[in-house]
Amino acid sequence: MSVIAPKFRLGYFIKALLDNIFWAVVLLTLAGIPAIMILLFYIDLPIIDGQILTPFLAFTWMTHPEMSVPLVKAFMQTDFFRIAAFPGFGFGALLAAGVIFVERKMLAKLQLRVGPFYCGKVEGILQLMSDGIKLLTKEIIIPAKADKPIFWVAPLLFVGTAAAFVSLIPVAPKTVVADIDVGLLAVFAIIGFFPIITVLSSWSANSKYPFIGGIRALHQMISFEIPLILSLLGVVILTGTLNLSEIVESQATYWWIAFLPVGAIVFFIAMLAELERIPFDLPEAESEIVAGWLTEFSGMMYGLVQLGSYLKLYAFAGLFVVLFLGGWQGPMVWPPFPEEIVTEGITMGPVTAQIPGLPLFSQEMLNGTLWFILKTAAVIFFILLPRGVFPRIRIDLLLHVGWYRLIGLSFVNIFIALGLLYAGVLGPEGIL
Amino acid sequence: MTTQLPPGLQLEKVDERIMTLNVGPQHPGSGHMRLIVQVDGDYIVACDPDPGYVHRGEEKMCEYRNYITNIPHLERPVIHDSCNILYPYCLAVEEILGLEVPERAKYVRVIASELNRCVYTMYWLAIYGIFLGHSTMFMWPMGDRELLIDLLEKITGARVTHAYFVPGGVRNDLPANFEDVCLRQVNYFEKRIKEYADIFYDNPILISRTENTGILSRQDAIRLGTTGSVLRASGVDFDIRKKEPYDVYENLDFQTNVLQSGDSYARSKIPWLDMFESCRIIRDALRKMPKSGSVRVKLKPNPKGGDVEVYRRVESGRGALGMHVISKSKPEPYRVKISVGSFRNLICIPYLLRGEKLGNMPAVYWSLNYWPVEADR
Amino acid sequence: MGTASGIIKALNSGIKHLAVKRFTLRYPEQKLKFVGDGYQYDPTTGVGIAGYKGRHILFHDKCTGCQLCAIACEGVAEAIAMVKVNENWKHNKKAIMPQIDYGKCVFCGLCVDACPFYALYMTNDYELSSFTKEGLIYTPSQLQVKPQVQQDAEIQIDDRGASHG
Repeated sequence: MSVIAPKFRLGYFIKALLDNIFWAVVLLTLAGIPAIMILLFYIDLPIIDGQILTPFLAFTWMTHPEMSVPLVKAFMQTDFFRIAAFPGFGFGALLAAGVIFVERKMLAKLQLRVGPFYCGKVEGILQLMSDGIKLLTKEIIIPAKADKPIFWVAPLLFVGTAAAFVSLIPVAPKTVVADIDVGLLAVFAIIGFFPIITVLSSWSANSKYPFIGGIRALHQMISFEIPLILSLLGVVILTGTLNLSEIVESQATYWWIAFLPVGAIVFFIAMLAELERIPFDLPEAESEIVAGWLTEFSGMMYGLVQLGSYLKLYAFAGLFVVLFLGGWQGPMVWPPFPEEIVTEGITMGPVTAQIPGLPLFSQEMLNGTLWFILKTAAVIFFILLPRGVFPRIRIDLLLHVGWYRLIGLSFVNIFIALGLLYAGVLGPEGIL
Repeated sequence: MTTQLPPGLQLEKVDERIMTLNVGPQHPGSGHMRLIVQVDGDYIVACDPDPGYVHRGEEKMCEYRNYITNIPHLERPVIHDSCNILYPYCLAVEEILGLEVPERAKYVRVIASELNRCVYTMYWLAIYGIFLGHSTMFMWPMGDRELLIDLLEKITGARVTHAYFVPGGVRNDLPANFEDVCLRQVNYFEKRIKEYADIFYDNPILISRTENTGILSRQDAIRLGTTGSVLRASGVDFDIRKKEPYDVYENLDFQTNVLQSGDSYARSKIPWLDMFESCRIIRDALRKMPKSGSVRVKLKPNPKGGDVEVYRRVESGRGALGMHVISKSKPEPYRVKISVGSFRNLICIPYLLRGEKLGNMPAVYWSLNYWPVEADR
Repeated sequence: MGTASGIIKALNSGIKHLAVKRFTLRYPEQKLKFVGDGYQYDPTTGVGIAGYKGRHILFHDKCTGCQLCAIACEGVAEAIAMVKVNENWKHNKKAIMPQIDYGKCVFCGLCVDACPFYALYMTNDYELSSFTKEGLIYTPSQLQVKPQVQQDAEIQIDDRGASHG
């Protein structure tokens, strides 16, 4: 039953326009204005210079250069900015994009080839952008017998969970989205979501290869979560806290990797398995099960899963840095912000721009972020390197390594930590 | 609603536990063929190879073309190893037509066929690497293969389909100062393939994946009629270059590599070890080659043979490659039967994969040194 | 500890190769250099001269229209057809010359081996792509043109690995 489109008549056209305008006005008055009122009633508006920042005031200030800087500064203190941009999703996604580019170039260099080269003039630096545009414009094909709602929602869930993981990683002093006292427990809880999402997506696709891949991913993730969690207990025993920021602060003089190298190695290997990276990329083994649980994803759904997995990679590398490599700790190398720019302004030829309220970031924060990024990059290099060096491992060997070797080693690590604690070397009342 | 099945057809009873996977022909883990794999969980219950997707009727085509025009289409089954697949044909036709090949042509043929064997082995190794998820092992052999393809291009004038061997010698002589370029690139090639040891053959993860998988015992290897690297990996010292030397192989200094274990690891290592021997043969042949002389005997336009049958076989990249040519006093051969190593090694697949894990399937399947297009002919 | 040392050796090998030269021919900018001017054949000795088997070159002043090349191509690719040309040559009374369809040609060079008059050779030109099937059919006058090729990349080998210089 197809409807034949009626012939165009001006009267119908005007009627349709008027109808649309009428319904828009009705909906706005009935739903929109109450919604705005409710929103303004429940949200705590920030107070700047003793004034409540109403929307009207905010728009007035935006046109005023002197006032817009504190406005931006206030905006940067909001939770929304933290979640969406700086220590949260945007920062992580930017680093993840960098990781994808570096991975492709480094792997190409290792394999004596060129890699992305032509897109963006300089060594293919815009390749990732063009890939993203390609994925956006591709058709999304969904298997006919798939469980559509779950299949649609799985990539979003994957990215969302990865972003939640990113939000727990402290980047610099007081620069973390969620500074909670049970930070490490929250990390474990979030990691526990990934196998569920993987199995849901693979099951809902209603296809053979995704199903086998999903079951493999489930096996792999669950069996490596145990050594992953156990290997971190050593750090928790020595610091006596689950708060990630406090764990970083406890490493001001020495890093935990110096005392717990076994735990660091176990955590690194378990991390590779959790990330499904080579040599543990069994869920995506293309010569056996096409692309594993990603087989039926197409277009931007695939892109979202990739974004999620690289966000996860960044988050795991960040967690490694936070727990074992001293987080943002490092010598102060960032140059101090010149005081006269704040007081006198910047003189550029005839124009003097006075911007009170600068700097937006403190020196400690920038320095901490710099060190954190440097250390994370080093860890990411070692996560990427095995991709060019190792073949894929087999599922029974993988489970054997997980259950027999890594769990044993992580217990050894716990005993080392306990020994150091009870010998009085380290810990809250230790001599060091 | 039930449909009436035509008489003689029955619906297959489906076991709930057993899942049938079609690995191929549109699967990244197969060539131009299909493996019908039945899995119980992660274990393979049965595996049925199903070749024939690229059957070209090469044998029938041979009966309608004369001895020279058969050359270009006969090398199509293995374009990476095109010199070696033409080699037995040329030997057989020379026997039929009673041609005496010049000494220099024999050496040139040996050099070209050894270069081509390495080119084929590198291609095979690249795919073996990507089957095991080792992307570097895909890129390195594909890149280093270029060194030898460059040499072959200098000799024959084409990168893969050379059409270089003809009954009575080779098409053209080596180019000027080829020896220096050849020695330089072959030496560098040998240095490069030595570097594969650290990253691939001595890699503990690779060893753990391929060792003790798909073991073919010495008796089974002989009983199933395997050949080439599969046979030598099972401990049988059989190399046609040594056992039935053709052309000038008896003058050259090389050895055959034999491993005893008969698993996927040994099967994948034999071709790699053979490449070192190929480099040795090339250097030796360049040294012992007569420095001048003809490389091709002149042939009549449409040569005819007598009423004879000739079977000649050579060692190709995938094992014994034989051609049975029957001549009935005509310009065209009466019958050409091609016996290829790939097809003879294919029979191992159901034996080797039964009871293995699905993860071992690519490792075992591609270690058989199998080339689907050649098997279909 | 064999496993650990093997893993460390593999990682070390990977890191070492980050410093080795890239071995990639950047094709449209670089083109490989070939031996000589293309595959040629000397009918007096019966032996060819090494060279790349690319597009053919036809010498109109030597071609006699004997059709041996077309006969040689029968059963191989059947790419050669003899066509009329508007030229008057004493040795080519029928005024027919080969026309080659590169949509069918397999570049085996057996037609060059068949020519007894030094009239048909092959050249280094391999960039023959065309938007139409008709564009792949080269007439005798197109085959007469000597190709202009810029091929100068060669494989260079030094301590830091091979590259296309």
